[in-house]
Amino acid sequence: MVRDDEGSGEVLSDEELVERGRAGDDAALSELVERHHAAAYRVAFSMLQEDDAAQDVVQDAFIKAFRALAGFRGEASFRTWILTIAGNEARSALRRRGRRRETALEDAGPVRSQQKPPDMEAVDAQEAAWARKMMGTLPEKQKLSVALRIEEGLSFKEIGEIIGSSEGAARVNYFHGIRRLRELLQ
Amino acid sequence: MSNMKCETVREWVPDYVSGRLARLDDTSVRSHLKACDECRAEVELARLIFESRVDVPDGLANRVRDAVRYDRRSVSRPWWGITAAAVAALALGIGFSSDRPEQSESAIPGYAYELDDENLWLSDDGLIAGAPALDALSDEALLQFLDELDVGGAGGSA
Ligand SMILES: [Zn+2]
Repeated sequence: MVRDDEGSGEVLSDEELVERGRAGDDAALSELVERHHAAAYRVAFSMLQEDDAAQDVVQDAFIKAFRALAGFRGEASFRTWILTIAGNEARSALRRRGRRRETALEDAGPVRSQQKPPDMEAVDAQEAAWARKMMGTLPEKQKLSVALRIEEGLSFKEIGEIIGSSEGAARVNYFHGIRRLRELLQ
Repeated sequence: MSNMKCETVREWVPDYVSGRLARLDDTSVRSHLKACDECRAEVELARLIFESRVDVPDGLANRVRDAVRYDRRSVSRPWWGITAAAVAALALGIGFSSDRPEQSESAIPGYAYELDDENLWLSDDGLIAGAPALDALSDEALLQFLDELDVGGAGGSA
């Protein structure tokens, strides 16, 4: 974790890390990777449904983002910026792959195993794999809107920036996706 | 007893299931859910989605760091010397390969640089259920859409 060297002990913001990274500070870039690689991976995975390809996308996205850091002016947050690039890279990868192929259930990647609050029913692995498979069938903007809102906690405004839509369109995509999933999963 | 509206709860469901709500809001949502079956079903669906999210591979952060470090060393001119225009192009998904020297393309296995030069978001999903592309619609039209999606409106409040 990169902290302020002036001794205040505060955790640096993304904006401060970007500033330092621009000045050539490797530790600052490293911390940006730490903070955002997981979300970038989940975005890439949701589009590609494949681990290796998603990892390649995350790597390429950070390399491109850091190469371009000098011109990053912070109109968007670093988070929305890196996720936008990851989304674009994933789309390029999809196109390179040609036509999106059917992903078998057993290829759907490892299910997150995590402790749940005691009042929650456990989501079993099979159910989770099925949910992910159904997510994979949604149109891209719906899928991304649902994933970014629920998995990453982004606002509709941020989601709009990432999928290249207005805030209102991101919201509609989200609720369409939710409604479709409700039908598919019930 | 909560007088929170379903519509508000639906907005907060994702933050509720991921534990991101402030404690007070969390309590309000919880008490609404006790009395509202529809919102509870919405929470269950969102929780399933949240908990089904894919595991991030352990070594990924280090792999990315190594690749970034390698990239910085392998570029002959200052690696950060890319223009603001290139950044805008990057976010739009427009390639900027002409701005870069030839380098290290094949040095990292499985790693490719090129970006396609199309607008990456003009995709097949512009149409939803036969509706016109959402981005072309006014805010009023989008609100109409949300009404039709029955986002909390019909359920009343608990
Ligand atoms: Zn309700």
